[in-house]
Amino acid sequence: MNVSEQLLAALSIYGLPLLFGVILISSIGIPFPMSLLLVAAGSYVEQGDMKFWHVIALASAAAIIGDQIGYLIGRWGGRHFAFRIGRLFKKGEDSLKRAEETARKWEGMGVFLSRWLFTPLGPWLNLTSGFTEYPWHRFLLWDALGQVLWVIIYVCVGRVFSDRVQAMSEVLGNLAWVFVGALGAVFFGWMLWSSYRSLGSTKNNTELDAEPSVADYHTT
Amino acid sequence: MQGWPRRILLLAFALSIAITVIFAMRAFQHRPHPKVDDPIRPWMSVPYVAHSYHVPPRVLFQAIGHPMEHPPDRRPIAQIAAEQNRPVQELISDLQDAIIRERQFPPPSLSPSSATKPIQP
Repeated sequence: MNVSEQLLAALSIYGLPLLFGVILISSIGIPFPMSLLLVAAGSYVEQGDMKFWHVIALASAAAIIGDQIGYLIGRWGGRHFAFRIGRLFKKGEDSLKRAEETARKWEGMGVFLSRWLFTPLGPWLNLTSGFTEYPWHRFLLWDALGQVLWVIIYVCVGRVFSDRVQAMSEVLGNLAWVFVGALGAVFFGWMLWSSYRSLGSTKNNTELDAEPSVADYHTT
Repeated sequence: MQGWPRRILLLAFALSIAITVIFAMRAFQHRPHPKVDDPIRPWMSVPYVAHSYHVPPRVLFQAIGHPMEHPPDRRPIAQIAAEQNRPVQELISDLQDAIIRERQFPPPSLSPSSATKPIQP
């Protein structure tokens, strides 16, 4: 049995405590198949072996606690490290401060969406939120909203497809990466488009400057 | 922006498109099909197999020579096989045979309407 199958086997023996432990560890950033376990838990709910609200409460709590640990690691570890590296480069510290300001504008929505839609990005955003000193109470709010939504979606999918746990978790795992890829394509596509546009406008300006004026014709 | 920065952006854009397409194809390939069952795996418990294949758990427990308890034994098939000193694949084939038999010849059962009526002598 591979790791996923061993975890599924352990879930059927140990139940909710195992679900809690695995989700907590995965939320910190250690890659365990959380979506698979949540779908399986949804299937157990449908079969009457687990209670729906117990799964929702425990899984959400585990995910939120794990995210807070990731945030703290970013805040106390990553920040000092990045600024120490930044000081080595010219204007490095200024660039980091600018990056912090930009991140703060978008971080709330980013945290919320990375909890349930762009899930592979979740642990990274925990670190960057801590690193950029995004206010903790706001991080907690967006994190809790996103995580509860994520747990409800996956457990409900597990209930609906309770007889197809393995196939459904494969689909969900792949779809999460489809969303990440699409987000990247939109982001990098937009950057490319704006760089080509700015290049085009500079070209036009230089062409206009190079064109001979009426006064030039008169003098020749 | 010109030269290397733009090349890196192009590469990142192409990589994002590739990730989207590859994982979309994988998601499509693994989509649950109503007429295709998930294969029986060692992590599954007997009640889960019964639920997945829509057969009574009693039939499957009987097929592997394991008593039907209340609540039913939720341990993985691999653990039951180890307890019985049998290869897990042998247990899986017993379950598959029982499912095929059950689907071909389901045991006679009372319909909901007849179940409420007393049996006439």
